[in-house]
Amino acid sequence: MAPDAAPAPNIRLTPEEEAVLAGSEGPVPQKVMRTVVRYGEALGAERLVDISGDGHLVIAYAIPGIAPSLEMLEELVAAGLRTKFPFTLDPRPPLDYDNWALNGWQVEVLDGMYRDQARYEDLLLRLGLRDAEAYTCRPFLEEVGNTPKRGDVLAWSESACVVYANSVLGARTNRNGAIMDLLCNIAGKVPLSSLLEDGARRATWCIDVRTAELPLPQLLGAAIGRRVLADVPLVTGLERFLSAGLDAPTRDYLNEMGTACATAGAVGLFHVEGITPEAVAQGMDVLAADHRTYVIDEVVLADLATSYPVLWRDPEARPEKCYLGCPHISLEQIEWWARSIKAALRERAQAHIKVPTTLCAAPQTLARLGADGSALRDLEAAGVRLSAGCPMQLFDNDLAAGSAIITNSTKLRTYTNARFFPDRRIVEILVGGEI
Amino acid sequence: MLLTFKGRPVLPGNLTGVAVVSHGGFNIYASFFESIHGPSDEAICADSGNGDLFGRDLADKVICVPSTTGSTSGGAVWQRLIEMGNAPRAMLFSKAIDSLAAGGLIVADLWAGRRIVVVDRLGDAFLETVVHGDAITIGEDGGVVIRRTRA
Repeated sequence: MAPDAAPAPNIRLTPEEEAVLAGSEGPVPQKVMRTVVRYGEALGAERLVDISGDGHLVIAYAIPGIAPSLEMLEELVAAGLRTKFPFTLDPRPPLDYDNWALNGWQVEVLDGMYRDQARYEDLLLRLGLRDAEAYTCRPFLEEVGNTPKRGDVLAWSESACVVYANSVLGARTNRNGAIMDLLCNIAGKVPLSSLLEDGARRATWCIDVRTAELPLPQLLGAAIGRRVLADVPLVTGLERFLSAGLDAPTRDYLNEMGTACATAGAVGLFHVEGITPEAVAQGMDVLAADHRTYVIDEVVLADLATSYPVLWRDPEARPEKCYLGCPHISLEQIEWWARSIKAALRERAQAHIKVPTTLCAAPQTLARLGADGSALRDLEAAGVRLSAGCPMQLFDNDLAAGSAIITNSTKLRTYTNARFFPDRRIVEILVGGEI
Repeated sequence: MLLTFKGRPVLPGNLTGVAVVSHGGFNIYASFFESIHGPSDEAICADSGNGDLFGRDLADKVICVPSTTGSTSGGAVWQRLIEMGNAPRAMLFSKAIDSLAAGGLIVADLWAGRRIVVVDRLGDAFLETVVHGDAITIGEDGGVVIRRTRA
C-alpha cells in the first residue's frame, strides 16, 4: 500500500473530525488529522478525545533526527495552524557556551549543529509555544506554571514529564513521541487509549521496597523500569520515608524516580502507596488482582549500580567535568547542592571545587535563585556554573565520546558516556578532584 | 525449516529481510543516536544497555523486539533514518505496539514518504523463536515466516 493511500478509518470519528479528514479545512489539516487517526488505529483506540490543557513537547532542538524538519514546521505555519492550547518545551540546547567549559572545537561543532536553532524557535512560537522562555523539563514547577490538573487529557511527550504528569499530578497522557506530540496538539485531539483509560491505569506490578533507608531515586527508578518496562507499578515501602503531602522533598524524589523509570523502561505511570493521588484515592484497589511482585532491597540496587559499564577512554581517569540537573532541578535541590558543596569545601579549607561543574534548572527557577541570592553566591564562589540548557543535547554525540564525565543522572548515563554516582559521592569527588 | 507466526499489520507490506533480535525493550533513541548525525549505510546500535544489539548494524534489517523504551525524542528518529538511507526494513513487535513506536513510525510513513513495515502482536513465542540472522518473510496480512537453513 502506498504511504499516501487513505483507507476508511477503523476508528469512530465525530462529524467534525470526519470533515477535517475529508479535507474541509485544506490539505495540511487533513494530513495532520490523518496522522492522528492512524495513530489511534495503531493504538486500538475506539475514538479520539479532546485535549483539555496546555502541552509539553520534547522537540526543543533543531537537530535533524530529534526535531521535525524546518520544512515540515514551515508547512504547518504556512497553513495557519497552531496548537489548541499553548505549550512548553524541553530545555534549550546548551548554547550558553561559557557555562559548559567547552573547547574551541566543541563550540565550532555546536555552532554547526544548531545553526537553524533561532529559525526553529521562531517557528515553534508561531505554532503555539507559550513564550520565549518556556524551555524546561520541569514545566510543572510552580515558577514555570504548566501544571496540569487531575483528570486533564493531554498529549505530552518527554518521558520524564509524561510520567510525572500521570503519576504525581493525576493527569492523563500517553508517552507520545516527538512530532506526533505536536500534531496531536494542533489537531486538539488524542486517541482514547492506554493511559487515558481507567483500566490501563491499574498497577500490574507491586514493587515492594524493603531497604532500611530511603533508596536513591535514580537507582530505584532504574531498577523498576528495567523490570516492568511499560507496565504500571505500585511502589510500596516508600511511605516509610516520604510525606503524603507532596512537599518539595517528596515532589523532587518522585520526579527523579519517575525519570529513571521512564529511561530504563517505558514507564508512563506509577503509583506510590499512600502518596500519589490515585493510590491515595483507591488504596490497594489500584493494584490489579493478577499483579506480579518484585522485591527491591539493598542487594538489588547495589547489583544494578555495579552493572553500569564505565565507558570512559581511560577508566582510571580523573573526572574532567560534572553535569547535574538532568532532569532540571528545583530551587530546593539547588540549595542542597549549594549547602553540601560549601560544607565540604569548608571541611577541607578549600575555596573552589576541582571538577568543572554545570548545574541545570529551568530559566524561571534560576531567576528565583538570583532573586534569593545566598545559594547563588555560594555556588558561584565554589566555581559551579548554572545553565537553563540540557546536558544531554551536548553529549549524546561525538563531542565528548569517551570523556571522563560524571553525573547523578540515570538518564544522562543512559544516553552518553557519563559515569553515574550518587549525590553525596559527587560532592566528595567535586571537592577532592578524583574518584 | 519454516516457522510461521501471525500478527497485526500496523503498517502493512510484503518484504523479505534478515532478523536482528532484542529480547529486552528496544530503546529507540539510545540505539540510533549515533546513526542520525550523518549519511551512512550503517546504523550501528549504540545502546550499551542492550546486550543483544549493542554494536550490531540495524540498517535494512528486520528488527524483532517486545516493545520500545526510553526517551520520547525517539519519535523523530525514524523520519531521519529514512532520509539518511540507513533505516531498518521492518519492525516486528511481540507485544501490542507502544505509543512511542507507533507515533514515530506513522509520522515517518505519512510525512517522509517511505514505509518501514510494522507488524505487532506476534506473541511471546515469536520472540522466543527468532534469532539473529534468520531470514524473515513478511506478508501484507501480518503473516511472518522465519526461514532457517542452519541447525
